[in-house]
Amino acid sequence: MAKIDLSNISHSYNPNDPNPVFALNPFSMTWENGNRYAILGPSGCGKTTMLNIVSGLVRPSAGRILFDDKDVTDLKTEDRNIAQVFQFPVIYNTMTVYENLAFPLKCRDFSKSKTDERVNSVAETLNLKSFLNSPARKLTADQKQLISLGRGLVREDVAAVLMDEPLTVIDPDLKFRLRRNLKEINEQYKTTLVYVTHDQNEAMTFADNIIVMSEGEVVQTGSPKELFERPNTTFVGYFIGSPAMNLFESEVSSNDSVKINNNLIKTRTNLSNIKTKNIKLGIRSEFIKIAQNQNENLINVNVEKVEDLGNYKLITAKMGNFTIKSKVTRETEIPSQNVKLHIPAEKCCVYEDNKLI
Amino acid sequence: MNKLYIFLKYFFIVVWTVFVIAPFLWALTTSFKDFQSVNGGVTYIPWVDFEPNLEGWKVLIKSPAKGGVDIIEPYFNSLFVTCTASLISIILGTLSAYALSRYTFKAGFVKNNDITFFFISQRIMPPIVLSIPFFLFLSSINLLDSLTGLIVVYIVLLMPIAVWIMVDFFNKVPREIDETALIDGCNPYQAFLKVVLPNSIPGLIVAGMFCIIFGWIDFFFAFILTFTEVQLLPVKIVALNSSVTPWWSLSASALVSVAPLIIVAFIVERYLSKGNLSGAIK
Repeated sequence: MAKIDLSNISHSYNPNDPNPVFALNPFSMTWENGNRYAILGPSGCGKTTMLNIVSGLVRPSAGRILFDDKDVTDLKTEDRNIAQVFQFPVIYNTMTVYENLAFPLKCRDFSKSKTDERVNSVAETLNLKSFLNSPARKLTADQKQLISLGRGLVREDVAAVLMDEPLTVIDPDLKFRLRRNLKEINEQYKTTLVYVTHDQNEAMTFADNIIVMSEGEVVQTGSPKELFERPNTTFVGYFIGSPAMNLFESEVSSNDSVKINNNLIKTRTNLSNIKTKNIKLGIRSEFIKIAQNQNENLINVNVEKVEDLGNYKLITAKMGNFTIKSKVTRETEIPSQNVKLHIPAEKCCVYEDNKLI
Repeated sequence: MNKLYIFLKYFFIVVWTVFVIAPFLWALTTSFKDFQSVNGGVTYIPWVDFEPNLEGWKVLIKSPAKGGVDIIEPYFNSLFVTCTASLISIILGTLSAYALSRYTFKAGFVKNNDITFFFISQRIMPPIVLSIPFFLFLSSINLLDSLTGLIVVYIVLLMPIAVWIMVDFFNKVPREIDETALIDGCNPYQAFLKVVLPNSIPGLIVAGMFCIIFGWIDFFFAFILTFTEVQLLPVKIVALNSSVTPWWSLSASALVSVAPLIIVAFIVERYLSKGNLSGAIK
């Protein structure tokens, strides 16, 4: 258990090249003790590199890592007291399930009784109790991944448990239960959990803080609500949420309103300092509703299709060249012609050069 | 269609089995024949076609003074040289293979793959190319005609096999397993000994098997590098031949010399069928 500080960390896999390519651009961040973090981003954006830097498998090209204000940048992995679970199950084939789970404790000279107690408790949580004496290699892929996970959780005093897309090989039902178990473990033992994923649902349901990454850059850090309602960049707006955030090229028309396709949309943003022409208006499809009796921020659209997605309806509509998506409840009546949609001013995000104003 | 398939399958299995076993049966019956039974027309069945006797076997252990060859000492020499050289080759080969698989080496333009190829290239050369250098080398350190000298040479010959097999094997063991061991608290040596090595037993067995086979069957270097003090089994067996080919004792010695390899094959086969050689990860 520790507070983890990443200070000005950056990493390149070819640092001696005249034109080094950075897998991670410089960033600083603090992981508070006992929180749940999710690192979210598309494949190849530097998520795994970040984890490997924290666990010590990769030494960063620049910057320092501090565990509880103690510099561990040059400390070897085995001396860091950290746990990491990889995407694919890694088990010690020649050992039994019990020996696998006990291995991290054995390496650190824990007593037999303490080892027994911890292994049994973790095996209980992960439903591995009945397999403890079986050879680990005889288990199925998802049980093997549970062993990997168990080895990560068996030490109570770890600085953090880093998980690199650990539930990829696990079937959805068990996945849901395991995520809940992980949350319980976090609440019970106050273990810092860091969870890497490219699945936003996984990140949203698991973490209280999400770190969004793109192309080696930390784009935004915040709670699921913040990321959903106020995405820092158009990338976050696009990447988080299903469907992605509606983004419209627009012109500034006054200090607080923009024009899209000749429709005036009021916002709560002060637009007096805009310098460029690259302005986009972003609004979540969840906030766009069919107009009832509002008299401003309305747009006329042609409804192209309505999909019934079980618990909601997804309207895809056209306004000139723009495509608009709106999520409405199943009961909503959708007129066939002259549809007016309402865009609430307080939910509008205005982006200049793809950055939130 | 299905019946034809089954018929053909068993037909070829039977043909192949006969092809493999017939020479052994031939050697086995021949080893119990005398001059008359071998040269006086075709005979197959003991006691019916010919009267079996142990002359062919006796010359192998009878004292050389009475026309025998005494293969017992060469037999144990061969066992000792093969096992020692194989063991050392496996230890050295496994360590180098692990290093070549996990760490990056660079000396000018020479990189990991070039080093691995260098090892293998030792086996690409025809042995005759190496014979004179080995001879001069052993003679300069006074190890000609000695077991130690042979062990040194055999390590040179067997280690490339071990390196080759083990590099390939370690490359297939995901790095994550080493990394997990480090995270679990091992230092790199413990990670290798406690985690990677036990997971690599299948590779070690295959490499060991190849080393033993290639060491055991070598005639060429055993012939060139030894004279009178030390002799290995293959050289001794060749010495059995004379103006009248003694088919019976040659057959007996062939069976005796192939026996250790059959035992090795059975042990490895047991291990294979236990499923321990199946994929280590995932």
